[in-house]
Amino acid sequence: MPTSIYLDHAATTPVRREVRDAMLPFLGEEAFGNPSSAHRFGRQVRAAVEAARERVAAAVGAEPREVLFTSGGTEADNLAILGFAAAAAPTGDWSGLHFVSSPTEHKAVLASLHEAERRGARVTLLPVDRAGLVDLAALDAALEGKLPGGAPALVSVMWINNEVGTVQPVAAIAERCLAAGVPFHSDAVQALGKVALDLRAVPCDALAISAHKVGGPKGTGALVVRTGRSPRPLIHGGSQQGGVRPGTENVAGIVGFGAAAELAAAEQPVKAMALEMMRDALEAMLRAAVPDAIVHGTAGPRGPAILNISAPGTDSEAMLMHLDLAGVAAASGSACTTGSIEPSHVLEAMGVPRPLAVAAVRFSLGALSKPEQASVVTDRYAKAVEKVRGLRAALGAQRDLRDLR
Amino acid sequence: MTRRKVLVAMSGGVDSSVAAALLVEQGHEVIGATMKLFCYGAGPVPDRPCCSLDSIADARAVADRIGIPHYVLDLEDHFRRDVVADFVTEYARGRTPIPCVRCNSFTKFSDLLAHADALGCDAIATGHYARAEEGRLYRGADRAKDQSYFLWGIRRDVVGRMLMPLGRLTKPETRDAARRFVLATAEKAESQEICFVPDGDYVAVLRRHLPADAPALAAGPILRTDGSLVGEHDGFAQYTIGQRRRLPGGRSRPLFVVAIRPEERAVVVGEERDLDSASVTIAEVNWLDAPLLPGDRCEVQIRYRSKPIPANVLAAEDGTVRLGLDVPARAVAPGQSGVLYRGDQVLGGGVIA
Repeated sequence: MPTSIYLDHAATTPVRREVRDAMLPFLGEEAFGNPSSAHRFGRQVRAAVEAARERVAAAVGAEPREVLFTSGGTEADNLAILGFAAAAAPTGDWSGLHFVSSPTEHKAVLASLHEAERRGARVTLLPVDRAGLVDLAALDAALEGKLPGGAPALVSVMWINNEVGTVQPVAAIAERCLAAGVPFHSDAVQALGKVALDLRAVPCDALAISAHKVGGPKGTGALVVRTGRSPRPLIHGGSQQGGVRPGTENVAGIVGFGAAAELAAAEQPVKAMALEMMRDALEAMLRAAVPDAIVHGTAGPRGPAILNISAPGTDSEAMLMHLDLAGVAAASGSACTTGSIEPSHVLEAMGVPRPLAVAAVRFSLGALSKPEQASVVTDRYAKAVEKVRGLRAALGAQRDLRDLR
Repeated sequence: MTRRKVLVAMSGGVDSSVAAALLVEQGHEVIGATMKLFCYGAGPVPDRPCCSLDSIADARAVADRIGIPHYVLDLEDHFRRDVVADFVTEYARGRTPIPCVRCNSFTKFSDLLAHADALGCDAIATGHYARAEEGRLYRGADRAKDQSYFLWGIRRDVVGRMLMPLGRLTKPETRDAARRFVLATAEKAESQEICFVPDGDYVAVLRRHLPADAPALAAGPILRTDGSLVGEHDGFAQYTIGQRRRLPGGRSRPLFVVAIRPEERAVVVGEERDLDSASVTIAEVNWLDAPLLPGDRCEVQIRYRSKPIPANVLAAEDGTVRLGLDVPARAVAPGQSGVLYRGDQVLGGGVIA
């Protein structure tokens, strides 16, 4: 077997040792209580959950009471969109609600918007440029209530795109929403630990983050909700987390998230720079090895960790298969197990032509990345390109032969 | 046995699951692939899951269980073009196609082999009940399951690189093996359907692909062989040679479809004896051994699971073979396959003209 190289950190990351160490006491008899219990067992664990809440809050410049722990980024996005909608239309009639978002959002946001639409709301996806960044003039028009559907009930624009890694003008969007009095939600799942997240500087009303993208455990995330803005719960039960997100807390996961978020925020400036240098070096080598390859998202500001590249005459599924068998773990954009060759909605929205969009391979760097991997990855990528081009030529020749028959 | 690198097609059914597991047990280096052939109604947002997702998940679970990598190959475009389009055209021409033959001949195996070549695999494998030995194709040992009838159109060079680990097993033995390997698909029900024809309703598929006023789905006359009018039908694509359903009844002797004449939109009916043919012509012939010559003997099978009929080659040229039958064949349907055997060996085959 060739040495394995993991370049899919945007999908998930390994749990950090410090995080695991922080979690271990909560996976045995040492600290197992229910944080809602009044007795000492409960108190002990409640203190740990609240400490984690403080750490997560500090990592994004928020107040601890603003942090709602969820089962992950997807639930946080759902809670923001559907929970704010329900709060804005408590009678259940959503027909007057208008949501404004972008076509390059994660499926968690797009599918939540689709659900809101199904319940009668109107959804507008703002036009984006070649880098997938929203058109601020169009946003202004939306905020002024000039678009069909009227003044928005919520604007939702992600911080860093999960497929191409471009950074949306979140500060400008947040300021505009604040001025217009419209709540603003941002999916910041790919941004935590990659860029500075400070809600004191960027006035978001809601922010979705996830633990397992930053060395924390899977199954834990948070929606950070600015005081005064409260979504209606999506699930119903006890009074945990103010009743907005009831259910006995995932204590070990939350404690792990606290540790991971604190580390991610503290290390962000240094780690981001190192990742960016490695990413740029890999990008330069890939471009040199496959000169006609196209890197997506370079027309706008980029986060440090994601490199999305298409070699003409290849397709993602064959490329990923060849890379995997050569020991390189990459992805074709958002994680998708269907094997569908449909081009990514993100690349489509950016205007990438279909033959290039279906060839996209996403490399995402992180904790396991090392500078010396770049040359090995480049070598294996170039070989895969050559083989897949040969494969497609063979399939094309068969097809021509068949047409002659 | 020499260790080979094998790309195995895994549909998510029990047969191909066991084929993959047996190859792993035999010590080969195995890579699993599920060919995604079709999908109706998957929107941009997953309101309902794609119809082939379950099969892919099953194949992946089996691959994980037996410890092999598994990938999905998207053949939707090829399949639509080479198989579904042909299926529709054939019915519109009054014929009775077998899309699985078309898929095996033009889509599945050639694409699988191209992928195998690119991956450096020596062989490709499937879960068919048939045998490929030394470049020749044979019937599967389980006569009730034998699938060699559907495989005549594979390129001869591909047969030389095929492994069909179930070729010597019976279906119950395959199920036992699946249980022994503790595969999630061990008790999975058999699908007898054409994969892209839900509930066996092929007319619905034709309606979806043909224009609303297509002659094949429009009313037309039901005629006797002498040209006299017996009644009316509501689309000749709903008929096949030998069919009794959807014909006027109340006669002393039942009527059967004996011919379809698309140019007149006519379904021609006759009595049982009118179904017999003393000869059959097959076109688009593919040879899997030395081509037969006039005067050669073989057996020809004209339907899946029908009895092979001893025959004499009357003429053979330009990919067309005309056979004289020792006993008459009943209900020879254009578009079905005529497969040439000698004993268990598949010599070749073609499409009944």
